[in-house]
Amino acid sequence: MDDDADLVLDARDLEPPEPMVRTLEALNTLARSEKLLVLLPREPYPLYRALELNGFAWQTERRPDGTVAVLIRHQTP
Amino acid sequence: MQALLSFEQAPPFTAPLRFFLTAPLFAMLAALLVLWSGPELFASRWTPAALALTHLITVGFMLQVMLGAMLQILPVAAGANLPRPLLVATLVHIAIALGALLLAAAFLSYQPLAFRLAAALVGSGVALFVAAAGYSLYGVSSTDPTIRGLKAALIGLSVTVCLGVLLATALAGAFEVPLLQLTSIHLGWGFVGWSVVLLAAVASVVVPMFQMTPPYPQWFAGRFSWVVLALLSLWSVADTAAWQRLEALLAGATVLSIAVFATLTLQLQRRSKRARFDATQRYWCVAMLSALAACSLWLAARSFPALAERQEWPLLCGVLALFGSFMSVMTGMLYKIVPFLVWSHLQNLGRGRVLAPNMNKVIAGKQIDGQMYAHLLALLLLFGAVLRPTWFAYPAGLALLAANGWLLHNIVCAVRFYRGHRLKIEAQTTHAAIGR
Repeated sequence: MDDDADLVLDARDLEPPEPMVRTLEALNTLARSEKLLVLLPREPYPLYRALELNGFAWQTERRPDGTVAVLIRHQTP
Repeated sequence: MQALLSFEQAPPFTAPLRFFLTAPLFAMLAALLVLWSGPELFASRWTPAALALTHLITVGFMLQVMLGAMLQILPVAAGANLPRPLLVATLVHIAIALGALLLAAAFLSYQPLAFRLAAALVGSGVALFVAAAGYSLYGVSSTDPTIRGLKAALIGLSVTVCLGVLLATALAGAFEVPLLQLTSIHLGWGFVGWSVVLLAAVASVVVPMFQMTPPYPQWFAGRFSWVVLALLSLWSVADTAAWQRLEALLAGATVLSIAVFATLTLQLQRRSKRARFDATQRYWCVAMLSALAACSLWLAARSFPALAERQEWPLLCGVLALFGSFMSVMTGMLYKIVPFLVWSHLQNLGRGRVLAPNMNKVIAGKQIDGQMYAHLLALLLLFGAVLRPTWFAYPAGLALLAANGWLLHNIVCAVRFYRGHRLKIEAQTTHAAIGR
């Protein structure tokens, strides 16, 4: 997953709503062909809803250390 | 980025907000009851005024905050969306608010009709909430400890309210039940099976999230809720069957498990990455220390008969649990939940074109700190009122009134902040649309 990403945002040590704010900021400038990897300390259910509403597709991976990695791209490149 | 929330799924701002605005009103009503009853209220935990006070805090303040918070937490932490959230919130809110008022009136007047109506209203309001929350959680995998905890807490709430309805109907004279024994089981399920289990489930998300701490250890987070429910169930059976030794052992184990939760939370707080604790963290700290004090007092009273004979210890335990622990932690959480709601709804209204203001500006820090000191003063005076009712009952009532009036003021300020910024955002987005 890490190799697929063009941009990585590590939001594990940020207090809400900073992870959401930074992810949205990064997605605003994400090129159609690019992929953004967000690292979070937990499953971001509200982010999934925002992604769905705004035409993004995502893949989630739970890592052994508890990190939740979400790889995001535009639904239609 | 167009939208943060889907309006079909996420509860509208007013759905949880009505619960948070009503809760301090009930605490203020409880304060007025202290002022009206005076020192007599503190004569024993069984005085009509003490029973009314307990239910104004538990059903009036705590249940309002807990159900409002659950409306918000279910979609965020579990991805579970309540069906028709605004309708469910409206009906549940009206039923439990009227039910709490009638329940307090019933304890003060011993009118059978008031008990019956209170039981019907609180019972149906909670049944509707549990059905809607259960429906939203149906099919949500229980692999996550928070989701397991939320499900367990709903079971705890159901048992508490079923026993409460049974007791209220019995007090209305419908039938006879062993009142003291059932009251003790009702209290155990309400304090531990519902309140502590929900608190621990929410803590596993919000303590690391908002206090920048490491997560709770796996051995605790994964097992706590169901171990506590199992202990409570076995204790209820042992208590009903009058197996005294087993009952004492199981009650002790349940109380110790609460002490473990409080100790772990305090340990996590010491490892917080924040340089300076904010009001929510301090509220959590007071709550966990009060919980530890309540557990120690309970264990001491069970171990030393001389202490158990004194009238003050159950009242002190009650003050520590209700005002020191639950009211503190819930007020602290309101200072995160309400600004977060304001921020997320404004962010959604701005649709990416207008950014929502910083969450920390929603309620002024000085107002939060001032309210917290007023609450701590009320807590100290309530201890005083238990030990010296004639000296401290009235000052305690006044301080409780001031602290919760201040809390209401702070939440109203957040609503005004939301309304002011909503108008600005609407003006800016309309202006931008016309300009295009």
